[in-house]
Amino acid sequence: MKKTFAGIADPQSAAIEAGQSAAASDPKRFSRRDILTRSAGGVVAATAFGATPLRGYAAEPVNIGGLYPVTGSMAQIGQGCVNAAKLAVQMVNDAGGIKSLGGAKLNLIISDIQSDTTVTRTETDRVINGSKVSAIHGCYASALTLIASEVAERAKVPLITGSSSDQLNVNRRYTFTPFARASQFAQAQLQMARLVNEKPKVAVIFENTAFGTSTSNGLREKAPGEGVEIVLFEPYSAGFADASPLINKVKASGADMLFSVSYLNDLILIVRTIKQVGLKIGMNGGSGGFVIPDFYKTVGSLADGLQGVAHWNHDSDADAQKVNAVYQKMYGEFLFEYAGGLVAQTFMLADALERAASTDPQKVRNALAQLDVSSGYAAMCPGGKVKFGPDGKNIYGHPVGVQWQNGDLASVFPKEDARAPLMKT
Amino acid sequence: MLETLAQAVINGLLIGGIYALVSIGVTLIFGVVKIVNFAQGEFVMIGMYITFFLANRFGIDPLVSLAVSIPVLFVIGMLVQHFLIRRVLGLGDMPQIFLTFALSLLLMNVALLLFTANYRTVHTAYSDESIHLGALYVPVAKLIAFALAMAFSGILWLFLHLTDLGKAMRAAAQNPDVAMLMGINPHRVFAVAFGAALALAGAAGSLLMPFYPASPMAGQVFVLMAFVAVVLGTLGNVTGALVASLMMGIAESLGIQFVGADSGLIVVFLMLLLTLAFRPSGLAGGRAR
Repeated sequence: MKKTFAGIADPQSAAIEAGQSAAASDPKRFSRRDILTRSAGGVVAATAFGATPLRGYAAEPVNIGGLYPVTGSMAQIGQGCVNAAKLAVQMVNDAGGIKSLGGAKLNLIISDIQSDTTVTRTETDRVINGSKVSAIHGCYASALTLIASEVAERAKVPLITGSSSDQLNVNRRYTFTPFARASQFAQAQLQMARLVNEKPKVAVIFENTAFGTSTSNGLREKAPGEGVEIVLFEPYSAGFADASPLINKVKASGADMLFSVSYLNDLILIVRTIKQVGLKIGMNGGSGGFVIPDFYKTVGSLADGLQGVAHWNHDSDADAQKVNAVYQKMYGEFLFEYAGGLVAQTFMLADALERAASTDPQKVRNALAQLDVSSGYAAMCPGGKVKFGPDGKNIYGHPVGVQWQNGDLASVFPKEDARAPLMKT
Repeated sequence: MLETLAQAVINGLLIGGIYALVSIGVTLIFGVVKIVNFAQGEFVMIGMYITFFLANRFGIDPLVSLAVSIPVLFVIGMLVQHFLIRRVLGLGDMPQIFLTFALSLLLMNVALLLFTANYRTVHTAYSDESIHLGALYVPVAKLIAFALAMAFSGILWLFLHLTDLGKAMRAAAQNPDVAMLMGINPHRVFAVAFGAALALAGAAGSLLMPFYPASPMAGQVFVLMAFVAVVLGTLGNVTGALVASLMMGIAESLGIQFVGADSGLIVVFLMLLLTLAFRPSGLAGGRAR
């Protein structure tokens, strides 16, 4: 059962490889290496053939491509995404697959894009052209997703993604984004600052490359409109040895709330230094690396009370909690933002396939464009409704404000999405 | 204002202690073996992972694990000298640069393979504690790291000046040919120097662990500053590297405080530039000791 989505992209090439390695060696002289290669090849081949269902009467499986960075700098998160994607496919298949296609099973084709833009381009191409996929999803980092999206647009294959870059909604026809956009995150962060203090004084510190600069500029532009005063707006070079000078500066600014647009390494140092200084300040760490279980693992109880924003959280509704419970049992940590959204996306794809009654990417794309769900796994997201506008954006999509509470991430904002009261710090 | 200034100086001085451990290692190797060790930061990283695993698996305090990281890195240093560096001595600069640079890349990528890119932290009782003096604060973990860094630097200084082996090392640094004529075995001296330099890197790794997360690239953060300090304090001069490291820590901290958080390094490099312009052989005036 598990083998059907084991992620072996191309059973034939594995078999060819196995054959070649056997042919390459002299049959009369067996070295230990020969035997090892042969048996390894044999195992690979066996697994590969096992992966294709042998039952002749079964409906053709529907190929779905999943592009995630399973190695490289984002490996940890990418692996979590793959785990969630497999779980989601298993859930769809266990529930009977795609009924309008005779109970066809989803077949997940995982590709490792290695946290690398060039690899992303070639792998997206390979998955689309090599495997006859009906749709693809990926890629965690917006920079990678943008590239996969370009390739998908050209190939006219729908891409559904949790990545938040607003660029993904510009001149796209096959790209669908069911969750909050980057531009919405800033607003949510500013509004959350007012939960603690009616007239918050906010210090914004950000790493001085594209990610930090664009996010913090969004915050600065929207701050006056949200009644938030920015008292410090400070770029810094990522990867510092010591956060003390920076925090010393935050302290001198008299801010009562800190927005830190940072990579994980700097964030760990910042959180720890605030504690060392004994600085009483609220903090919003934004999204991404801040809202994954690993953050709590590295920072520990110092994280409790810190706020962030996410496009998905595991406590949003009963369905999300159910999936989270299963995932937690399998992997020992809660289902994080991107991975959870990915489960919902898989059900959105299933819904579209059901209505399209076809594996043709064009028809699946049209069915996705018509998607309108407000219940079930496909609708588990902040707001609980998904319907795409002409730009591929979920018209109901908005971020959820979260807070670390005793090692768990609780939804606290806005009121209709709050599942726990804000913990006072 | 005065408080902010005083705090900035304290912050800079404390991190300067860590820069010192790394830069003293680099300058010692340069002074004695006459090669630039580009992989010094990666040995700090190895020290960090040793400390992390001892803490994680056996609950050993990072300060106790100094007793492991220092000797392990010392032995690694002797082995690296004996099996790798020795082969490129006398072959000119390029093979030496390529060797240590390749070693740096290799170690980083092996670490990436073995330990992944995840950040590993060790949390101790004193990790987040501070001593508060009025409005000022001194983080305990960094204070301990600073004090021990100074102690290790002092021990090295005493070793170089009071023991026969230390004197032999300085002799080899001053004039290898004459030292050899005086019956000093250069390979033995080089191996000990390389070992001692890596032992300091290992110590830096252990001392960093209570407040800095380990990752395969962690060494890179410290090695750049170390190289600046080595040049600033005169290549090969241990005391010069120590003083320059502390100065740079303070300069960086003041730069962040009063110029901008992305400009800390500008102040440091300005210092380097002015020093090179007016005292080309470094603050200590070209005397390697």
